[in-house]
Amino acid sequence: MKNLEGRIGTIILWLLLLTAPYWMPLFGGYTGLGTRVLVLALAAMSVNFLLGFTGVLSFGHAAFFGLGAYGAGMTIKYIYASTMLGLAIGVLVGILGAMIIGAMIVRLRGVYFAMVTIAFGQVFYFVAFRWSSLTGGDDGLTGWKRVPLDLGVTQIDILHNDIAFYYLVLVCVAVCSAAMALLLRSPFGRTLLAIRENERRARFLGIPVDKHIWMSFVCSAAFCSVAGALYAYLDNFVDPRAFRWEQSGDFVIMAVLGGMRSFWGPLIGAAVFVVLQDKISSVTDYWMSILGLLFVLAVVFFPRGVLGVVKRKQGL
Amino acid sequence: MTQVILFNVLNGLIVGAFYALMALGLSLILNLSGVINFAHGGFLALGAYLAYSLAPYLGFWGGLALAPFLTAALGLIIERVLIRRLYGRDPLYSLLLTFGLAFIFQDALRFLWGAQSVPYQIPGWLASPLSASLFFLTGYRVFMVVIVALAVTALFLILGYTRLGIRIRAGTLDLDTVSVLGVNVRVLRNLNFGLGIYLAGLAGVLAAGMLGLSPTIGDTLIMPSFVAIIVGGLGSLPGTLAGGLLIGIASGLTAVFLPAGTEAVIYVMMALVLMVRPHGLFGDAGRLR
Amino acid sequence: MSLLDVRDVSRHFGSLVAVDHVSFKVEPGELRAVIGPNGAGKTTFFNLISGLFPPSSGSILLDGQDITTVPAHRRVGLGISRTFQITEIFPELTVRDNLLIPVESAAGLRLRPWISRADRVKVADRVQELLESGGLADKAERLAGELSHGDQRATEIMMSLALQPRLLLLDEPTAGMGDQETRDVVRVIRNLHKKEGLSIVLIEHDMRVIFHLADRIMVLAEGAVLADGTPAEIAADERVQAAYLGSAE
Repeated sequence: MKNLEGRIGTIILWLLLLTAPYWMPLFGGYTGLGTRVLVLALAAMSVNFLLGFTGVLSFGHAAFFGLGAYGAGMTIKYIYASTMLGLAIGVLVGILGAMIIGAMIVRLRGVYFAMVTIAFGQVFYFVAFRWSSLTGGDDGLTGWKRVPLDLGVTQIDILHNDIAFYYLVLVCVAVCSAAMALLLRSPFGRTLLAIRENERRARFLGIPVDKHIWMSFVCSAAFCSVAGALYAYLDNFVDPRAFRWEQSGDFVIMAVLGGMRSFWGPLIGAAVFVVLQDKISSVTDYWMSILGLLFVLAVVFFPRGVLGVVKRKQGL
Repeated sequence: MTQVILFNVLNGLIVGAFYALMALGLSLILNLSGVINFAHGGFLALGAYLAYSLAPYLGFWGGLALAPFLTAALGLIIERVLIRRLYGRDPLYSLLLTFGLAFIFQDALRFLWGAQSVPYQIPGWLASPLSASLFFLTGYRVFMVVIVALAVTALFLILGYTRLGIRIRAGTLDLDTVSVLGVNVRVLRNLNFGLGIYLAGLAGVLAAGMLGLSPTIGDTLIMPSFVAIIVGGLGSLPGTLAGGLLIGIASGLTAVFLPAGTEAVIYVMMALVLMVRPHGLFGDAGRLR
Repeated sequence: MSLLDVRDVSRHFGSLVAVDHVSFKVEPGELRAVIGPNGAGKTTFFNLISGLFPPSSGSILLDGQDITTVPAHRRVGLGISRTFQITEIFPELTVRDNLLIPVESAAGLRLRPWISRADRVKVADRVQELLESGGLADKAERLAGELSHGDQRATEIMMSLALQPRLLLLDEPTAGMGDQETRDVVRVIRNLHKKEGLSIVLIEHDMRVIFHLADRIMVLAEGAVLADGTPAEIAADERVQAAYLGSAE
């Protein structure tokens, strides 16, 4: 029963996502907003791969988000103007960063893990901020644009056609979420659940816990850097704020807001977050405090997230 | 050259003392309650602005004396009303709570005192350099270090010799046992939080005199404080103090040779420490998990 | 050659000596019990054998191979598996998944990001077998955290067996159980020992259980070996009686 309901939910979700550019304007949305939701949802899902399914809290995923973004933007600006090459290099850079940072922190747990990941994220912020000859510093990396996709027989103009770009992002999200879902259903994924549930038991079942956390960290960072690259493409722009700890915190909030024990929860959380931010910031300058208040209330009263609350209401 | 190096080392030491003051407050709260207080920077800024608003009535000294206490009082209330609810739960939640609080703080400060930065008046005799040859060493910088030293000494005396302090230290080691022995853990955590916030408020007033006031004044200071805790060692207050001073001096020295790297160097230090000693220089390995 | 050979092992925590120069052997197929008053160092001794932390001095050999510094998860691969005094399971996973994880770990599949159909069937069969022998088949789809204490205990023992150990360490398997549940667990342990010839080390407080099951018993007091012998020898030992009567167990 549960399985069937889940399947129906997933199908409805995908139908909504596939048709979003056409129904969103009816509710005052626009395609760019939908694309933004997808990009940040992917980042939040990647954070949740670690948080919800490995039980490890990274508060520094903006590092990989930013590496993906700068990797993609700088590839197009300095090396070769190709959207796909930029994406690939952005992800490689993100993975490399995660492998190095991960190796230094896998022995830590809990709040200490979170604290060290926050601090590491800042390194990249300062590099991007200071090395302005290469990164554009505080003004951001400009003077480049995402490039239409050349499929040989035909071209897809993702540069000028926002709807085409939306579908490119949707394809990336589909591929990444399928990869995450498959990983989580594999024997490897089950070891991650085991670590989340009971680290000591996992170790005494022969699972080298630190190594598996490292691998999960790197996988999660890879997905996050995909999101980062797409984020850079979204506005043809990236600035050092992509690296900041507030950005990392936003991802975690989205995951928790949606429900971190559910696979699609972070997507819901991201949608709520992005739409609220968009609406509130058009009304008042003090949107940050309203979002902050929302976080506080959510954490105190709805720790299980939106999907968690829905499930409980249904008595599941 | 020697002059430049001396200047930067001293400068680094002053900045480091400052990081240490802030990191000690964070560390107190982290060790006893397992809460990373993201709102610490917000409390710091609040302390600064309170002193700024009190100064016309009470003068510089009145502000310095009273503002940290008022900040701590707000800390006690916030702990009581919000943070306390989350102690039994995964540390994730208290972390997100203080993250949300940090957002609220920043907007509230902007609303109450404006987004523009304003200068903070310090007594004239503190603003002038001590001597012509040591032109960079204003009285205020020395004054700051003295106040930090006094505050840190007072903190360690409180922890070492008062009933509250001894209970805080015992609770940090083993909260369950302390609770079984009849200590009211809720009150203990509340007071400990207030103590940590007092230090943030004090740091705020001192920072205002050097950097001026802006709603984001705490933002640039909170990350180095995290690094100070990690470098010094998790669970060790003397370690936190040493960590703060060390990263201050390191960034001071870097300013001489590679000015662009002054911020990044502390993170490089952190990485090095983590590779050699994951639990920090003076930390307790058992606290890693 | 002994299966497990613990040679003169000690463990200090600061100034506290939790385990004090203990030597201990387990022969293949033997069921050994470790008893002693509370705080005698029994669980610390288990933690040393299973590799939760290394000893301060002394050495531990498995099949003559020195494993003193081998980390816990690799000792599992060498054939040592254990249960804990306070049940350690995966509460928010189903009983089936609780068993699936160790079965896959033992089959060397833990790093696989995918699984072949043949492997999937093999693994599922093994899980079913374990579910049935642990009396858990009808509870397979329930969350482990929702089971009764006795069933959680059974789940944990089955998880340890899923690893196909050569040496099973059981830390107070009947703690907190009623009479019926205790009898069930004793039957399971006896089967493992007698029918499958598994070597077992058991910490237990319930003397009836111990004298029923054990081939040999070691008595620890204040971290040191007080006596070591057959159940009959231990029952007759005056120092053991004194230790137990003295501590009013």
